[in-house]
Amino acid sequence: MQIVKKGEKAVDAAVGILKKGGLVIYPTETLYGVGVDATNPKAVKKLIKYKDRPIGKPYSIAVSGQKMAQRYVELNKTAKNLYKEFLPGPLTIISKSKHKTAPGVESEDGTLGIRIPDYKLVTDIVKKLGKPITATSANASYKKRPYKISDILESIGNKQKDLIDLVIDAGKLPKNEPSTVIDTTLDDLVTLRQGKIRLSSESKIFSKSEENTQNLAKEIWQKYEIQKGKRAIVFALEGEMGTGKTQFTKGLAKAMGIKELVTSPTFALENEYQDGQKKLFHFDAWRLEKSDELNNLGFPDLIKNKSVISIEWAERVAKVIRKFDDEAIIIWVKIKFGKKENERLISWGVTK
Amino acid sequence: MKILSIDTSCDETAAAVTEGTKILSNIIWSQASLHAKFGGVMPSLAQREHKEHIGFVVEKAIKNSKLKIQNLDAIAVTVGPGLSIALGVGINKAKELAKKYNKKLIAVNHLEGHLLSSFANNEHLVSGVKYPCLGLVVSGGNTQLILVKKIGKYEILAETQDDALGEALDKSARMLGLGYPGGAILEKMARFGDPKKYKLPIPIVGHEDRKIFTYSGVKTAMNRLIESEKPLTKEKIYNLAACFQDVAFQHLLRVISFIICNSKFAVHDLLVGGGVSANVELRKLLRKLGKENKINVHFPASKKLYGDNAAMIGVAAYFKAQREEFVEVNKIDRNPRAKL
Repeated sequence: MQIVKKGEKAVDAAVGILKKGGLVIYPTETLYGVGVDATNPKAVKKLIKYKDRPIGKPYSIAVSGQKMAQRYVELNKTAKNLYKEFLPGPLTIISKSKHKTAPGVESEDGTLGIRIPDYKLVTDIVKKLGKPITATSANASYKKRPYKISDILESIGNKQKDLIDLVIDAGKLPKNEPSTVIDTTLDDLVTLRQGKIRLSSESKIFSKSEENTQNLAKEIWQKYEIQKGKRAIVFALEGEMGTGKTQFTKGLAKAMGIKELVTSPTFALENEYQDGQKKLFHFDAWRLEKSDELNNLGFPDLIKNKSVISIEWAERVAKVIRKFDDEAIIIWVKIKFGKKENERLISWGVTK
Repeated sequence: MKILSIDTSCDETAAAVTEGTKILSNIIWSQASLHAKFGGVMPSLAQREHKEHIGFVVEKAIKNSKLKIQNLDAIAVTVGPGLSIALGVGINKAKELAKKYNKKLIAVNHLEGHLLSSFANNEHLVSGVKYPCLGLVVSGGNTQLILVKKIGKYEILAETQDDALGEALDKSARMLGLGYPGGAILEKMARFGDPKKYKLPIPIVGHEDRKIFTYSGVKTAMNRLIESEKPLTKEKIYNLAACFQDVAFQHLLRVISFIICNSKFAVHDLLVGGGVSANVELRKLLRKLGKENKINVHFPASKKLYGDNAAMIGVAAYFKAQREEFVEVNKIDRNPRAKL
């Protein structure tokens, strides 16, 4: 292990070692990080050994700028916006990976976290190396956050110390929080939708209040209630954030005679409400990455059991819902903002 | 009383060993010690992820506690609320260990964990709180004000009718193009902004006697405001973030304040827990509220205890064990919509 002070010479020393697949401890604007060439499989293996955490946990990478980032990830609008406004800075932005890093760097679902540190030493190293380096904290997993070199050395064993090739010492760093991690992949355009959903008869209504929206749910429910127990009834709700998908479900639950409080299922993904024999399953597909993940939440069984289901952000999982076109009654409800604050245009219909 | 506890209620796989209210180890997968939630925001993968990591996380918790599993007195596990398939992973692990090592089993409500999280590593608080007291749980999934008659006896005084506070903050961050979950970054942006720059309606202002929390209306208003301010600049984002956060907190504070002022008994203590209470601004406001009403406001002792973790489950389990509330291995079951 070699220790150098922060400075011009440190950049050259680091680049030399990184090129050879070595492991370097370096300061950043947040805390001490540990870097290896993120495109070198051997070097990444060394890093995984150093961090002592099981495989499967991804590492973010430090790049010199947006141009370099785009060689490794696909930036959508949200990501580009964040880059423009907030990078360089203490932010890790997750995007879809182009799979150009060594195994073990990107996440299992093919996303990659990018950092552009607001710290010249690091960007200088990356620029000179011409490749990204890993940007993870220099402590071993589940150990103290490293703000000075002794924080690191005191918390690791000799085996781990032997893996360190170079330490760039910048003394005690100010106690800044680690970078904030933001996932932008949830805002990717939904490519799951299979063509336009054709409805047998489409109805439209103008809602002027949350009560209006709830009442509409009640009316639609009364129309299809007769099918309850014969087939599954699915309310597939589409609409921007804040249009009232949860309000619609509240009305549905009330109409069904369920007294339990209906709240947004965004966080829990699925809520179940029960009142005696009456039961409503309430899903939120917004955080689901892939259409068929609805299967993992037991959707096919619910259809088989002829359940009543409400799904918010249904367009994200349309592929799976549509598989049950014959088996279940699927009512597509689309809610759009109107001109005034409380106005909504709601259209609905059953699939052909 | 030494307890191994497990929590797999949502995105994190967590295990901890506690002795009484003292934490011996507290392991959280997906937040590791550092990078907040990297890859931990794919809840649909939760079950598979939990299954993959639960063994490692439990082992690590035991190893870090420097105890042997044979020397523990009981095993505790979260049974709800949470994602059904995810809860199952933790429960199965707890059952397996309880059977193998012949340990008593304790079923814990995740919300009770958050509610009692300020007791963790805070021995003198246990005897210092005057009951009945109030509890506030603010997280991504819940927003509840709770009457704590005594530990184990609760009554909900107010809860959200639609979005949880954390969810509302995450969603408004997303509307600002800050990704998801963006509550944490919204807080950072808000520090640079002026909360008075825009006017957003405080939910149910003047009707706090309804004793509810609601964020759907202000979320919609925020959406409209953002549309009218486009294209957004850094400056605007700062101000919008500050404004939304301020209104969301004002609403929370106004309802709590109403309930305190109209309480039939004198409130001396407020226990706060849940991920959103890590927000510095909210803590400041709650402390101020405490001062004005001569109430001691208690927060968890460390940052790791705010978000989902298993140490708080261990603390809740400790009190349950004292009341002899154990559950048989064959009878423990998940309860995704568990209530306090």
